[in-house]
Amino acid sequence: MYEDEKTQQNLYAFKPQLEKMNKMGVALIVFLLLVIGVGVYALYIQIVDGHAVTGMRDNVVWGLYIVNFIFFIGISYAGALISGILHLLRVPWRTPIIRMAEMITVISTMIGPAYILLCIGRLDRLPNLILFGRIQSPIIWDVIAITTYLSGSIIFLYLAMIRDLAILRDNPVKNARWRNPIYRFLSVRYKDTTKQKELLNVSTDLLSIVIIPLAILVHSVLAWIFGMTLRPGWHSTIFAPYFVIAAVYSGTGVLIMVMWIFRKIYHLEAQITKIHFNYLGIIMIVLGALYGYFTFSEYLTSWYGSIKWDMEVLYRLFDPTEYWPLFVFAVFVGVLVPIIIVTVPKFRNVNSIAAAATIAVLALWVKRYLIIIPTLETPLLPIHDLRPEYAHYSATWIEWALTFAGIALFILLFYLFSKFIPIIPVVRSGEEKDYSRLRKIVFEKQMKKVIRQNKKSDRVITGMIILLMIFSAPGVLAQDENKIQPLLKLDYFHVDSIHNLTATLRAKVEGRFTPLEGMEIDFKFTQGGSEKSLGTVLTNEKGKITLPIPDDIIATGGDNGLFSFEAFFAGKGNWEKASAATTMKPLRMEMSFFQKEEEKMVNLRAFELGKDNQWVPVENLDVLFYVPRTFSLLKVGQATLANGSASLEFPTTVPGNRLGYVTLVAKVEENETYGNVEVNGTINWGKPLPVTKIIKRGLGDTNAPLWMVYTLIVLLSLVWFHYMYVIFTVFRIRHLGKS
Amino acid sequence: MFFSILILLQRQFISFSNQQNNHLIFQILNIYKGSFGDQKLRTPPLMKSRSSNRRNFLKLGIATGATALIASGGNVLSAFTASENKETGEKIKLLTPEGKLVEVDKGHICCQPAGNLEAREGLPDKKMVMVIDLAKCRNARKCLEGCQKMHHLPPHMEWIKFYLMRDSEDMTPYWFPKPCLHCNNPPCVKVCPVGATFKRTDGIVLIDNDRCIGCKFCMAACPYSSRVFNWEEPKVDQNPNQAAYSPETSSPPKMGTVSKCDFCPDMVRKGELPNCVKSCPNGVFYYGDKNEDAVTNGTDTVRFSELINSRAAYRFMEELGTEPSVYYLPAVDRAFDYKEGFEGLTEEEIALYKTEANITE
Repeated sequence: MYEDEKTQQNLYAFKPQLEKMNKMGVALIVFLLLVIGVGVYALYIQIVDGHAVTGMRDNVVWGLYIVNFIFFIGISYAGALISGILHLLRVPWRTPIIRMAEMITVISTMIGPAYILLCIGRLDRLPNLILFGRIQSPIIWDVIAITTYLSGSIIFLYLAMIRDLAILRDNPVKNARWRNPIYRFLSVRYKDTTKQKELLNVSTDLLSIVIIPLAILVHSVLAWIFGMTLRPGWHSTIFAPYFVIAAVYSGTGVLIMVMWIFRKIYHLEAQITKIHFNYLGIIMIVLGALYGYFTFSEYLTSWYGSIKWDMEVLYRLFDPTEYWPLFVFAVFVGVLVPIIIVTVPKFRNVNSIAAAATIAVLALWVKRYLIIIPTLETPLLPIHDLRPEYAHYSATWIEWALTFAGIALFILLFYLFSKFIPIIPVVRSGEEKDYSRLRKIVFEKQMKKVIRQNKKSDRVITGMIILLMIFSAPGVLAQDENKIQPLLKLDYFHVDSIHNLTATLRAKVEGRFTPLEGMEIDFKFTQGGSEKSLGTVLTNEKGKITLPIPDDIIATGGDNGLFSFEAFFAGKGNWEKASAATTMKPLRMEMSFFQKEEEKMVNLRAFELGKDNQWVPVENLDVLFYVPRTFSLLKVGQATLANGSASLEFPTTVPGNRLGYVTLVAKVEENETYGNVEVNGTINWGKPLPVTKIIKRGLGDTNAPLWMVYTLIVLLSLVWFHYMYVIFTVFRIRHLGKS
Repeated sequence: MFFSILILLQRQFISFSNQQNNHLIFQILNIYKGSFGDQKLRTPPLMKSRSSNRRNFLKLGIATGATALIASGGNVLSAFTASENKETGEKIKLLTPEGKLVEVDKGHICCQPAGNLEAREGLPDKKMVMVIDLAKCRNARKCLEGCQKMHHLPPHMEWIKFYLMRDSEDMTPYWFPKPCLHCNNPPCVKVCPVGATFKRTDGIVLIDNDRCIGCKFCMAACPYSSRVFNWEEPKVDQNPNQAAYSPETSSPPKMGTVSKCDFCPDMVRKGELPNCVKSCPNGVFYYGDKNEDAVTNGTDTVRFSELINSRAAYRFMEELGTEPSVYYLPAVDRAFDYKEGFEGLTEEEIALYKTEANITE
């Protein structure tokens, strides 16, 4: 099979790549491993000491890691869009670059998510993402989208490799004892029969159709992580398309860089020609112009609207002492320089286009930095922190080490992969050859036209950007050693027919009253000159102690109904001794509820202990009415007793429980004669609590709104159905190869 | 990959308020947690033991609708932690929804911190709100001191932040203390990928530090900068009384997770005010239950509806649509000159406040 001249030539040209590694290659691998080693060490420190070793703090919660994450996912676009679209359009010159593009996709989609893992404080809890995952969260969207995208990219890359794997199976590679069985296994008995060829072509087409919208969705989801927050500079509707365009721009740039590097190290000048650089350069500057347009639109809108917070971010970006130099590089240099290099024929050659691509890629990395950091440094409320690292982000060596480790890993994987399979497809399928000449001519003509038009539109865009520069530039600047006398308070409480004495011991320390805990208080009952001890008790943490008065004392009737009590504190350590006394008359109160012509009333009657232990009605006594609430009593009214009785309108507006039950407390407070007396009653006259409807599905609930679930299911099943079909086709190809 | 996605989706069809499902999932989780050697995930006490006492107690229906209960010291409790406790012999009076007073052993009611699952539910029939009286604030920072002491926070971890606000150039600045606003439409809860931060029925937004993966998305999403991160192993004095971690007490803090003001639901369960309210010398903070229409700052108890209407209260950045549970009373008839708030601050800090408020003098 594949006995055609071109394929044999290719095989002859590329096989040495797989068979030997020169000294430079070994040195490169060692160097890359060293860089990765430093990164691993940095990661170890970060895991042991916590994220405090990074530059990230409470306001700038994400730093270089997330910048790298966006960057790597961004360059993964090269494969998906460039190779997908070029494949579908059957563009003849795509063949030599298509595998590199797909490899960029797979490798960067593997490295990108590793950076988001570095932002996560508790890596040990990652399984929670599956166990408790909430599909309302953009992070879960990302998890789902990236895993799906990575799976698709791997399948796509593999489909495009099957023909080459078959060739390598038939022409075993030297010095590759363990690789040859892998080739044999992965080539799924592909023999290029008509049926096999047809199945393979259909699957590849199908997958390239699926992968394009998927890639757009992946980067939109990434943009929505930022777009969904209420942050100035992030909360923007154009964020998703903006990210998509920036991603394809940087992806094309990286593809050009990769092409240039492999052209140099494997001497592929015959396969990757100037025409490839020219065409890709043109695609890149068209995307660059679009990216410039989106940037202009984004900043013009927020500047014109001039909302306070948007302006704060803009001032930061346009401040020469802060981000203006980076902004100039990311937006002006990153767009204009590649456009000038590619459009002016004099400057246009393989090396300069590669340089232009490098500038674009670097500018895009800086742009991601400018999207993340200034916004996080500008929360809606000012950062009030004197520690400079909390107000301004600056990456630590840990973050840089891991950044370079990621880049090193990218290069390493790429290099190793190019040792596994030729970086340029060996097999040329027949269909391309038939069209190629004709298409080439037509396409070149079209491209020339595009370039001509592009020059004009570039001039307009350049003019606009220069105008923006001109307009924005001026706006840019814009205890004592002595003993302390504590205070002892003695109160009498009569609640629900229980008589209590409460003593409170406090002292003024540094101007504030503090309770004294664990102090001994003696209680005494005095009657007609004789004293009776009620006991000694310790104060609690609030400096308080409550002592019930024994019934037999009440039964004595006191001195004509008057009872005298004393509390005494003997002093301890720094605290002087203190004493307090109270005299009171027992008071009995009764509460009742009644309804008088629609009016709901409360009636309170009070009696005092008179002569001969008789209860007699009380005159002129102020009573306060309360409703108990969670923390305290809410006052709802007051009344003065006349002839031992008072009535009050029931506070029907006070909320009760679900059935409307409210407890009403009537109190006599710190009365000279009666002390503190309290009585309560409960009735369902309050406002019943409304039964609140609990929404089970919503953005803030455990379960997502149904439309979200269904959308996700539909989208995912569409994509995964195609994947399954393609995998099934691969098995069919294998089955067909048997006969 | 594919199966993980399937598990994720399948979860959407399990109702989490259903106890039986919970039970099953918790069994699975315990196995998982055990294998990873992480903190033990506490089985919800409701399922762990059902002594006859407890069951009878629950049958009273207090769990669903208790409003007021009157304890011996005049303390008013209205909700309780349904956790496994010993009997103490001390009785407490409770009011059932039917208006009957019953006596319950105190041991059934307090004081174990709530388990992870009950902490997600919220106190029954409550809707906690806070009212902050800006006219009385003079930046004394006692609230923060009290908060840090109670939650055993490291000195730099501030759950309440202070800003010197100036609405426009012609206006005099005023002090603005800001706890977590416990939004009813919380941006932080929406974005949490694992449901580690959640909104409860009583309006409180809490964080489960046993579940949080530390992605910090909630911190980026919160427009009020209310959240802080444990960047390193928290250096705090261990609370000797702390039995186990509970989302309601937020302590002990855990490295690599997010924390914030929790509105002290553990204190609400005990019928006590949060420390910020208690520590404020000027009575700036009013806290209470909106369903009871009452808020208190420790000395005064007022009708919530009357207070916010008579003083024209507003919610901070209402235009964001986050619907905070914290109301601010505008700084009219101020009790203090804003300059008094500079007392005790360092020169640097005063300068920073002045720049933030655009004061040039």
